[in-house]
Amino acid sequence: MAARRFIVEPRGLASWRLRLLVPVLSVVAALVVCAVFLALTGENPFDVYAQMIDSAFGSARGLAETLISATPLILTGVAAAIAFKMLVWNIGGEGQFIMGAIFAAGFAIWLGDSAPAVIALPVVIIAGGLGGAVWASIAAIPRVYLGTNEIITTLMLNFIALNLMNFLIFGSSSPWRDPEVSTFPQGRPVPEAARLPEFFIRLDVGIFIAIALAVAAWFLIGKTGWGFAVRIVGDSADSARYAGIRVPQKILGIFLLSGAAAGFAGGLFVSGPVGALDPRSLDLGLGFTGIIVAALAGLHLLVVIPVAVLMGALNNAGPALQSIGVPTATVTMLQGAILIFAVAGEFFIANRIRRPEPDKVPELEEVAT
Amino acid sequence: MSSEVPTPLAAQLRDVDKAFYGVKANDSVNFDLARGEVHALLGENGAGKSTLCSILAGLYRPDSGEMRMGGEQVLFKSPKDALAAGVGMVYQHFRLVLNLTVAENLALGHPDVGVRLNEKQLHQSAVDLGEKYGLPVDPAARIWQLSVGEQQRVEILKLLYRNAQILILDEPTAVLTPQEGKILFKTMRQMAAEGRSVIFVSHKLDEVKQVSDRVTVLRDGKTVGGVATADAEPRDLARMMVGRDLELPTRGAQVDVGRVRLGVADIRVQGDRGLEAVSGMSFDVHGGEVVGIAGVSGNGQRELAQGLVGLRKLTSGTIEIDGVDVTGTTVFDRIEAGVAYVPQSRLGMGLSPGLTTEENLALKAFRRPPYSKGRRLVASAFRDEGARQIEQYDIRGVRPGLPIRLLSGGNLQKALLAREVELEPKVLILRSPTRGLDVGATEAVRNLVLAERARGVAVLLISEDLDELMALADRLLVIYEGEVVGQMSTEEATAERLGLLMSGQREEAS
Amino acid sequence: MNESVLMLTVVAAIGLGTPLIFATIGEIITERAGILNLGVQGMMLIGAVAGFWATFTTESLAIGVIVAVVAGAAFSAIHAFTSITLRVSQIVSGLALTIFGIGLSSFLGRAGSNPLVGNPSKKVFEPILSGGITEWPIVGPLVFGHDILVYVSWLVAVLASYYLFHTRMGLSLRAVGEDPASAESAGVNVSHVRYIHVMVGGALAGLGGAYFSLALVPTWQDNPIGPAGWIAIALVILASWRPGRAVFAAYLFGAAERIQFTLQTLGEPWSNIPSTLLAMLPFVLAIIAMIVLTSGKRARFLGAPAALAIPYFREQR
Repeated sequence: MAARRFIVEPRGLASWRLRLLVPVLSVVAALVVCAVFLALTGENPFDVYAQMIDSAFGSARGLAETLISATPLILTGVAAAIAFKMLVWNIGGEGQFIMGAIFAAGFAIWLGDSAPAVIALPVVIIAGGLGGAVWASIAAIPRVYLGTNEIITTLMLNFIALNLMNFLIFGSSSPWRDPEVSTFPQGRPVPEAARLPEFFIRLDVGIFIAIALAVAAWFLIGKTGWGFAVRIVGDSADSARYAGIRVPQKILGIFLLSGAAAGFAGGLFVSGPVGALDPRSLDLGLGFTGIIVAALAGLHLLVVIPVAVLMGALNNAGPALQSIGVPTATVTMLQGAILIFAVAGEFFIANRIRRPEPDKVPELEEVAT
Repeated sequence: MSSEVPTPLAAQLRDVDKAFYGVKANDSVNFDLARGEVHALLGENGAGKSTLCSILAGLYRPDSGEMRMGGEQVLFKSPKDALAAGVGMVYQHFRLVLNLTVAENLALGHPDVGVRLNEKQLHQSAVDLGEKYGLPVDPAARIWQLSVGEQQRVEILKLLYRNAQILILDEPTAVLTPQEGKILFKTMRQMAAEGRSVIFVSHKLDEVKQVSDRVTVLRDGKTVGGVATADAEPRDLARMMVGRDLELPTRGAQVDVGRVRLGVADIRVQGDRGLEAVSGMSFDVHGGEVVGIAGVSGNGQRELAQGLVGLRKLTSGTIEIDGVDVTGTTVFDRIEAGVAYVPQSRLGMGLSPGLTTEENLALKAFRRPPYSKGRRLVASAFRDEGARQIEQYDIRGVRPGLPIRLLSGGNLQKALLAREVELEPKVLILRSPTRGLDVGATEAVRNLVLAERARGVAVLLISEDLDELMALADRLLVIYEGEVVGQMSTEEATAERLGLLMSGQREEAS
Repeated sequence: MNESVLMLTVVAAIGLGTPLIFATIGEIITERAGILNLGVQGMMLIGAVAGFWATFTTESLAIGVIVAVVAGAAFSAIHAFTSITLRVSQIVSGLALTIFGIGLSSFLGRAGSNPLVGNPSKKVFEPILSGGITEWPIVGPLVFGHDILVYVSWLVAVLASYYLFHTRMGLSLRAVGEDPASAESAGVNVSHVRYIHVMVGGALAGLGGAYFSLALVPTWQDNPIGPAGWIAIALVILASWRPGRAVFAAYLFGAAERIQFTLQTLGEPWSNIPSTLLAMLPFVLAIIAMIVLTSGKRARFLGAPAALAIPYFREQR
């Protein structure tokens, strides 16, 4: 098809400039596309975008809310980035997040009001990670030992987790449910000791924990022997096997780590802003948004942090838009558009296009010897 | 040409050239194919047989020269064109859709099949065709349910179903049992009897003698000779294949040949398709010697190497390294036991394509100091060790952060060897280490191998390149169909002897 | 159990299963070409809003359906482009389109000075036959009491089955999804086949979405289809990528929601089965099916097309 008019060939090494340009252009392109839809329905896109920026960064309160929204996205972004880099298609971040929330709330309630913060907080946080890892293992083990494709299994697990959470609160009188309120089912508030302390308006220390976990993941994969082995597996499984690395264990490890990251996000969210297993406040699509964060960050674990802040700002802008009569769905639209352009942009990072020179044999970009 | 070519000609190539990246795979090739004959194409690896066939089958276009079919000049732009003109090829990797039935594979893409599929008719056609050519098939069977021999039958039937007049079979007996081979030869003769032409690519002289009418030998991209099979002596054919007097070795005398460091006793290894690839091989390699294993590719070399290194399980037999039994141990254990391996796949196995050169140099040693301190990687070690090795082994083209796949072949191989040699192995196994390398890189690689030999390492060199073997090895073993069929010191080796053994002609006991 | 309650349940289940039939068969066709489209949920939503809007504006159901189908096809063309021409990750592309579709459909429903949200549809699909034949016992409501799209769904299932297994194009389609290299060798244009069938899948998804907004839930709201798109992806597996089985799978799960109401009316102990657990069922079964069907010999007969979700690179000459 395209080969007749110009040649598409794999690119040798994409410069950092290109790798920065593509995500930036993706955001710009998405803004343009959504501007068209806004204009078609009678809104002024510039006003809308200005409102979004203002609500996200224009006030101390807005900034705090942005960072609150960013906290789980850092970790779900890390979850997606770790997995996708290894070609493990874990799209179950949503379900692993919820499972983390369920485990965190569950352990907090089980510890009860008497446990001091110094015990309750670490338990709750670790429980979150554990929940995510356990949930991921349901898809990971068949993948590693039976070769079952993880795309469908992790996807389906999202909805099972969602329904499980709904069951725990709406469908039964489980320990997660608030016994005090009988008229309308809601999650039981978690003991105060298990709540992350706030320090800046509503922002809690969870953001530091999230950043610390992201840095830890970056360190683990980039700076340890285990991480190196994992990177070899992600680059060429045959080379890894040849070098004596046990490939199935590494894939399992990364899959579980990815699940744990999403689970931590859920745990921090419950222990932080939400304070209970509340389906309405937890069913926010944060797992899927994490995929957008990862894609935009080029799967780089440290870049995920600023990108998550950007996405947090977007998420936060929803209610503000409503106040000026613009549908909150604009935010979702924008996020979806950003992801489409980001993934399409991958093509330009991986390939370059040039006109064929007649009579010349095409050669891969080679460095002079 | 030394024989009368019967007319009319089914196909003719005149002065055909084809080059890839500057290297001529076919050089002024002349080839005549008569109607109703089985014509064998003989030659070593890299002689140009596959290229010639691919040109005939429309996969490649010749750079120059002309091609005629039935007297008229033709130019194929794709395999579809070739098939429309009546030329089809059965590749070594079949183009069959495993999950579809035989009848469906026959019908796929066929120009005469209508919009509606008439299953009954398709099935009947398949059965009829099969019976006619002695290639019975079950039209309702799925391809994955068939044996390899049966799958090959379907590939041939596919061509006959499109009324191919010229059929090209690329090393067809490589995947067949002897019985299936006999059936195939009957089929080939039958197709010839009908006036079709069959091109039969092979390196096995006894098969060529059995089934072909004429033989064309290729060497280094050129046609060397075309004879009637009846007139051809195996010795002459072997000489034509290998062609020249082999160079005398210049590797210097052996340092003390030590004890046996690699002991292989009666090993058997399964191939991918359920057939046995290594059928009871036994040999020893002493410290300080290079043992070369010569043979045309596809005779079990890959499985042998993988079995020695731990990438493939042995079905029986034992392997000892410095007297210690390592049979059944993992790849990791064998690396620890001192086995180094330079595989044929440089990128994608020996080297991880997306990682940098420094990372690749640490691919096996990264868990130990200096690369690691406990669980942590020491970045400076990667840099410093990397710089040292790049300098010492003259690996060129490296830039910081550059994926290693961008290096040229010669530098890739130097990097691979550098890493393996730095492990200070007891046993070094190499497959075709200088394949595709220029003169400078070849010399560098050869020197590294000889340096290991001088250090007392047991070196096993598996190669199809006789020059390489003659230059480096002290002793030669010839592998054919998974067995050792001949042994000799390099001094005793001649092109003729090696060529005969590599094509399956056993030597009389001397 | 009261016979008429059972009958009502089954008839309603057929109604609820109809959009699932469209979406599932559409996705089967797409996946048979080797392309995984996780954007089904987004495409159904786009079809739902487009169809609703078109009927709202023109007061014609026919135009509503056509617009929904075209919208679904156009939306899926984006996925086709990224997956087939750009050869980037099909998984991420599909998810992106779902997110975009969710946002866009909600946006279009609420935007403008006279938003669609909260408005009932100007026209709704009604049963096409009435009286007489529809009152025959059992067969009456079961077979003859439906609106036209239900019958269209049966037709689509039959046609899709025939197409896939008994026509030349269907054979090419299956070959492309199993082994594109061999198909290309045999003369099939893999790119064309993939493009066409991804867009057919999108068109059917759009149609399925329109059935929600024009028949089942004919007052526009933010997400009139529930998790139907995701269920369709699960049903493709449970149907072993066969259109015929998709009909049964779709009816089974169309019934899931209806059964919940029925259980409530039956009182204890039936009404205690939580709806959330029933809602989980298609997803749990899909996972079990994935694990069981895609390992071992059975995978060959019941498993996914071998080349599913793997980008295809044509050989260089």
